[in-house]
Amino acid sequence: MELHIFAQQLLNGLSLGAIYGLIAIGYTMVYGIIGMINFAHGDVYMISAYLTAIAMSVVFSFGVDSVPFALLIILAVAVLVTAAYGWVIERIAYRPLRGSTRLAPLISAIGMSLVLQSYVQVSQGARNQGIPTLIKGSLRIGSDTKFVQMTHIQLLIVAVTVAAMGALTFVIQRTSLGRQCRATQQDRKMAGILGIDTNRIISTVFVIGASMAAVAGVLVTLNYGSFDFSIDFITGIKAFTAAVLGGIGSLPGAMLGGVILGMSEALFSGFVNTDYKDVFAFVLLVVVLIFRPSGLLGKAEFEKV
Amino acid sequence: MAKPASALTKSLLDALFSGVLALVVLGPISGLVLNGYQVRNEMQRPLLLAAAVMVGRFLFSLALATERGRSLLGALSARAQQGVTVAEASPPRSLRLATPLLLAAGLILPFFLSKYFLTVLILAMIYVLLGLGLNIVVGLAGLLDLGYVAFYAVGAYGLALGSQYLHLGFWTALPLAALLAAACGGLLGFPVLRMHGDYLAIVTLGFGEIIRLVLNNWLDFTGGPNGASAPPPTLFGLEFSRAAKYGGTPFHEYFHLEYNPNYKFIFIFLILFAVVSLMVLFVGRLKQMPMGRTWEALREDEIACRSLGINHVTVKLSAFMMGAMVGGVAGVFFATYQGFINPTSFSFFESALILAIVVLGGLGSTVGIVLAALVLTILPEMLRDFAEYRVLIFGVAMVLMMIWRPRGLIRIKRRSFDLEGLR
Amino acid sequence: MGIRTLRKFMAAALLSGCLAAAQGAAADTIKIAVAGPHTGSSASVGEQFWHGATQAAADLNAAGGINGKKIELVKGDDACEPKQAVAVANRLVDVDKVKAVVGHFCSSSTLPASDIYAEAGILQMTPGSTNPKVTERGIATIFRMCGRDDQQGTVAADFVVKRLKAKRIALIHDKDTYGQGLVDAFKSRINKLGVKEVLYEGLTRGEKDFNALVTKVKAAKADTVYFGGLHTEAGPLVRQLREQGLKVNFISGDGINTPDLVTAAGGKQFVDGIYMTFGLDARNLPSGKEVLEKFRAAKIEPEGYTLYSYATLQAIAAAMKATKSTDGKKLADWLHKNKVNTVLGPKEWTPKGDIKVSDFIMYRWDATGTAKEVK
Repeated sequence: MELHIFAQQLLNGLSLGAIYGLIAIGYTMVYGIIGMINFAHGDVYMISAYLTAIAMSVVFSFGVDSVPFALLIILAVAVLVTAAYGWVIERIAYRPLRGSTRLAPLISAIGMSLVLQSYVQVSQGARNQGIPTLIKGSLRIGSDTKFVQMTHIQLLIVAVTVAAMGALTFVIQRTSLGRQCRATQQDRKMAGILGIDTNRIISTVFVIGASMAAVAGVLVTLNYGSFDFSIDFITGIKAFTAAVLGGIGSLPGAMLGGVILGMSEALFSGFVNTDYKDVFAFVLLVVVLIFRPSGLLGKAEFEKV
Repeated sequence: MAKPASALTKSLLDALFSGVLALVVLGPISGLVLNGYQVRNEMQRPLLLAAAVMVGRFLFSLALATERGRSLLGALSARAQQGVTVAEASPPRSLRLATPLLLAAGLILPFFLSKYFLTVLILAMIYVLLGLGLNIVVGLAGLLDLGYVAFYAVGAYGLALGSQYLHLGFWTALPLAALLAAACGGLLGFPVLRMHGDYLAIVTLGFGEIIRLVLNNWLDFTGGPNGASAPPPTLFGLEFSRAAKYGGTPFHEYFHLEYNPNYKFIFIFLILFAVVSLMVLFVGRLKQMPMGRTWEALREDEIACRSLGINHVTVKLSAFMMGAMVGGVAGVFFATYQGFINPTSFSFFESALILAIVVLGGLGSTVGIVLAALVLTILPEMLRDFAEYRVLIFGVAMVLMMIWRPRGLIRIKRRSFDLEGLR
Repeated sequence: MGIRTLRKFMAAALLSGCLAAAQGAAADTIKIAVAGPHTGSSASVGEQFWHGATQAAADLNAAGGINGKKIELVKGDDACEPKQAVAVANRLVDVDKVKAVVGHFCSSSTLPASDIYAEAGILQMTPGSTNPKVTERGIATIFRMCGRDDQQGTVAADFVVKRLKAKRIALIHDKDTYGQGLVDAFKSRINKLGVKEVLYEGLTRGEKDFNALVTKVKAAKADTVYFGGLHTEAGPLVRQLREQGLKVNFISGDGINTPDLVTAAGGKQFVDGIYMTFGLDARNLPSGKEVLEKFRAAKIEPEGYTLYSYATLQAIAAAMKATKSTDGKKLADWLHKNKVNTVLGPKEWTPKGDIKVSDFIMYRWDATGTAKEVK
């Protein structure tokens, strides 16, 4: 095995894993606070991809020619609208079910996911969509024939994921909002009694999660250049697997799970067999959960009697 | 007269807020349609939608301001139905008549239906069976299984591959596939039953995907995406096709009847109906047997059960295997009805749909599950006239039904016992 | 005019009006189904089917319809899923009572649905199912307007080995009936020509990140990549190949033939140099000129399967006109024996229902984002 090939596969896995991690944040935060798998999260990410392309064509039609400025506007639009989606989804599909059985929001989340997916399909058409390549070039190390490389946008993705993870960890650990989140997470009723507006906190978490999905949507669209309305499921389920692998509810866990999942996929597909890489990813998940039932960085659950 | 005015202002403000929000949310996606690297302006669509939302919100807020509106809306909301109700010890007389009537209807109905309705009904019955099976796992034992479709696939492929490699017929494959699915359930269930709640859900989801991926990738054995064909059922060796394919005599020739493609589906429906009826009876009995009692006890409080000396692993495993077996049987019927299967029929969405049936059915209620399965399979067929809006409407219906009845269509009733009768 | 005559006149008018209405209601239309994935991830193909068929129906109706009856199209959605294909086929047969079917697209939908049409004795012609199995099961009433994967793979293999002189070929498919069938046909042909593939891998449809696979192609030192699949995966794959600095030849089949390939790849610079097999492009045929203008006037680019769907309806209509019947058996007999002039040129069918002369040729994409025939 040649070293540069191996290193390249690791880097491939890292950039893929960073994407998983970024989307996994939304799953892990929502799960952390209300203990619910938000199946519509993948769809929010998909919508953000559409917003990226739409905002981009509008921005360029106004004659903006500075790429960084255009990117900022696109990011702002995507985050704003997607955050509104997060808020609305929570308000319509989940809040009325609070205090009901644990499975009811799960089913309404699946319904919501269907709604969003077919809404986008009906209004935007079923065609594959794309954006022109904005950020070109890559960083190469090594000789002309034997080198490892990461494109600039892949480097950006990794940087943004790390930054987002750091910022959110800071918010959760150090700020008042974070303390309120953690209180709501531990005991919603008690937090309510202590004067925390738990509904507002939960909405905020949905908005943050959706914004992260928006950032992921923008970056991934810049990276791959194409998307369609069905990207929600395939990426969503992997990101969710990443969140569980790392320990759901834990922010660093989302990152770690994403990177492990991405790298194991890249290595397995690179050196064993591409067909079975997803099988390997799920087997890895099962094995990890058998030995660490709460994921890699998750806190063990103690049952109270 | 200050109060009505303020209610009106409030309603107007609400309406304005939701209108603006609707415009933000719906505007870009439905108003600017991507076309290559350009967008086409379709702003009239989000404007209309936002107007509709505003009117709706306005009426809703106004209704909330009046006493009658509140009580009307309150009846529709989730909070109205908390707690547990207890059933009468003996079912009311009207219900005793219902069972034989339903049985008679099921036996007579297929002969008068067109093939299309017959096939829709067969599919609905398959989902009833799946719902009943998953209900054992989720509703009774309280184990959230998001990969139930795996056992369905095992059953379906059991028939298709069994006939391909071992020349098994429908009737031999039926029990064998059921056993195979149960064995798979045991095998998959054993390592994961230590896990709790949602971790279990994810692992089962993983298993569901693994089975589907293997079916899709193992080209030499399963045919991969090309799928495999499955034999139709026979009546003591008589086939229902126009010409015998599997070396028997066609049914219509043996009885000197005119050929009719409906025969095959009527026959499948009748067997399926019998199996479902038996299953309903079986689950009903199971709930009263020690095994069923233990499942429900374990669902309610695992720690208490373990301290009472109940082996939680075997109990969970028995539920898992029982559910898997039913899924396998449903798979056999699916394969024989369809005549051809491939892995796309066993995606995660299918698991989600079955779970929706169980949850909508009221987690444990047999009648509810039958009802929910009928609704969720017949609804998409009825929505075919809406063409591309079909999935959208189906999704909206799912969300609305959950909000309207988060505890299912049928409220589950705890059994009570007539002590007088026991003495 | 006296009251009496007026009354008589009114009664007569009323009666004739009723009669006319009754005649209209007695379905002087011929219902033909357009079945395919109108929703789901392959919905864009369903859209192409529908565009092609509606334009063909409009043109045929404008020319007087079939034997004096108008064509009425019925949409049947299978979402590329066998279960839905069976349900919709039963519905089209029983409820809508269609007389012929244009469809389906995914071979995995066409296969189970064809049994139902065959049982009901309804003619079925698919514009896009290229899997050999479709016509290999002894059904008399099934036809296709497109070629077969084995023919397509052979044409591509000959080109790659003989013209491009490729030595190290990597095979990639999308694990779907179409893509894998295509790659297998290609593989058996290059093996016959004495070239062994250096890589045979499947990717997952719907994914966008193929970097690991690309690095693997690099490690295998391939000089040519043959891909069996659709443009949605071909685009990102070829882009990532180029981004990792691989200057290999990229060859694929008819599944990538749509302008959307450029969007999927993220720009024209990435599609430059891609080879593909496709039927003679009807857009360049003299027979297609007039139809093409009609499409363009309606602001629809007749890409991919649009014209195949158009031609399929033409063929069905021709058979119905000639036999003055809608009976599947009679129509099939006629189609087996006669040649039909379609927008894709004259077409003939083998007894199995395949097209007699497969018209696959090689195309090469250039930096303007269009595919041109390789001379």
